[in-house]
Amino acid sequence: MFAYIVKRLLGAIPTLLFLVVAAFFMMHMAPGGPFTSERKLPPEVLANIEAQYGLDQPLWKQLWDYVTGIVLHFDFGPSFRYKDRDVNDIIAQGFPISLTYGTLSFIVATLIGVSLGIAAAIRHNSWIDYFAVSLGIVAQALPNFIMGPILILTFTLWLGWLPGGGWNGGQWQYLIMPVIALSTSYMGNIARLTRSSMLEVLNSNFIRTARAKGLPARSVIWRHAMKPTLLPVISYLGPVFVYVLTGSVFVDLYFSTGGLGQSYVNSALTRDYAVLLGVTILYGALTIFVNLLTDLAYAWFDPKMRY
Amino acid sequence: MFGKSDKAADLAGEVTDHTAIQGRSLWRDALDRFLRNKAAMACVFVLGLIVVFVVFGPLLAQWSNEEIDWSRMGDIVRDGRPNIENGHYFGLDELGRDLYARVIQATRTSLLVGLIGAAMALILGTAYGVIAGFYGGRLDAGMMRFVDILLAIPTTLIIILILVVAGRSFITLFIALGAVSWLTMSRIVRAQTLTLKTREFIEAARAGGVSEGAIIVRHILPNLLGVVIVYASLLVPEMILAESFISFLGLGIAEPNTSLGRLIAEGAGTMAYGTLWQLLFPLFFYVTIIITMFFIGDGLRDALDPKDR
Repeated sequence: MFAYIVKRLLGAIPTLLFLVVAAFFMMHMAPGGPFTSERKLPPEVLANIEAQYGLDQPLWKQLWDYVTGIVLHFDFGPSFRYKDRDVNDIIAQGFPISLTYGTLSFIVATLIGVSLGIAAAIRHNSWIDYFAVSLGIVAQALPNFIMGPILILTFTLWLGWLPGGGWNGGQWQYLIMPVIALSTSYMGNIARLTRSSMLEVLNSNFIRTARAKGLPARSVIWRHAMKPTLLPVISYLGPVFVYVLTGSVFVDLYFSTGGLGQSYVNSALTRDYAVLLGVTILYGALTIFVNLLTDLAYAWFDPKMRY
Repeated sequence: MFGKSDKAADLAGEVTDHTAIQGRSLWRDALDRFLRNKAAMACVFVLGLIVVFVVFGPLLAQWSNEEIDWSRMGDIVRDGRPNIENGHYFGLDELGRDLYARVIQATRTSLLVGLIGAAMALILGTAYGVIAGFYGGRLDAGMMRFVDILLAIPTTLIIILILVVAGRSFITLFIALGAVSWLTMSRIVRAQTLTLKTREFIEAARAGGVSEGAIIVRHILPNLLGVVIVYASLLVPEMILAESFISFLGLGIAEPNTSLGRLIAEGAGTMAYGTLWQLLFPLFFYVTIIITMFFIGDGLRDALDPKDR
């Protein structure tokens, strides 16, 4: 197991490096830059600014400085837009917010999705089963950016129960709508996945054996059916996490929660490549890390898995 | 011994008179299964209606998607409502443009995005996966390692990056969607090719001296088709989703062109002023397209993949 973990961790390094280098070169291939504006700057001024940010150096030197900066000091460099803030500041300010509602959505989607799926499978063809199935179907057409407007329309404009946006230190009223918006679609998918997986497991021979030897239904489900049921769900958690991450881009923009997604879109629109690059790399690294975790969880859960 | 007798001729006629019973091909079976799937057929019908609407809807439009109705733009909430008489069937948007024309244009964009994105995935992913799976060995390891690396990066972020770097246009949008959509397809195709490659009929073809290129084209590709079609059909709505998400953020294609995601974003931005139609019309088309496409994809999977039922 330990060797497997080390192997996977080492395997993540080239992926990360590739991500950094590819993103870096893409940014530098782009025509125009953060300093191209309608008001033409005198060439000397522009040269000065570029020297300030190290943009006059040869490309490989810039790349080298950038990569060593990240690896040695965890430093993503200065922002091209804000004079007094560097990328680290922007990440430090926005990331905790995105992480808070992101984690909550992840937990909500997984817990409710799995419970719903299991309940649906145990009570096959009951109302709860039909509910889970229809939620699974509708969920595909209700991603975060559709749920967001619907929620605000209902809870803010019509009912007036919840504030329509803002963060306010993460008070619960401000958290509800972002979390529902982010989790609904994947809750439905997880419920569907769990349900079909559980149904398949419940029809298998070893469950029949467990029933035949007289085990109570409760322990058949918890002791025997649970682990194999959750296997496909676990391998699905990686994509869910990615979805929550990219969904944060929407939530921050639409609910003005002030997380990292807002900086991402703003930097994309103002061509602040340093921030864009930093956030992409951070999200990419997180994705790789979570994929690794789900693989490990999978290996731990699946008796057939060999490292 | 075989003298010509009438009796023998009659007998022969009777024996050969039966037309041979037509064999039922896999495709024929699949088609039958699909046609029997009521939900999928209903969705094909609804989607067909939307396509007809997109193709022939402009004939009924009295305004283009760029014109601003100056006489009504002063008070959109009162004058901009959906109205058959003044030609704004779906009302006006916030800037006084005809929503009917814009919804048609946006639906067309979204459908095109879905189809072209899936088509690119189909071509690129199949070619890549077949080559990796068929030739195997170190080539396969290297190619798949590359795919794994790309898969580890959140796709939406890649699309945004490409759009920002290369400029926002239809072409870059399609390239960006194509760049991310082929990855999973190539893995599926590779896995399928690996199992096909060891089957007896491929062995037989090799023994018969068929060239590798011909084996791929004549024997591997046709057998991949079912899986590939199923996955591509499920990819269409996903492409539409991805594009709408990016458009919603304002990073998709630029005005005056629009897509459903952008229209929903605009409608969502103004719904507080009581102009709900700006949200509901694009939302209706969007949700209908996505749900019907997923049902059709599911139906195709049930029809083409008999073991998974």
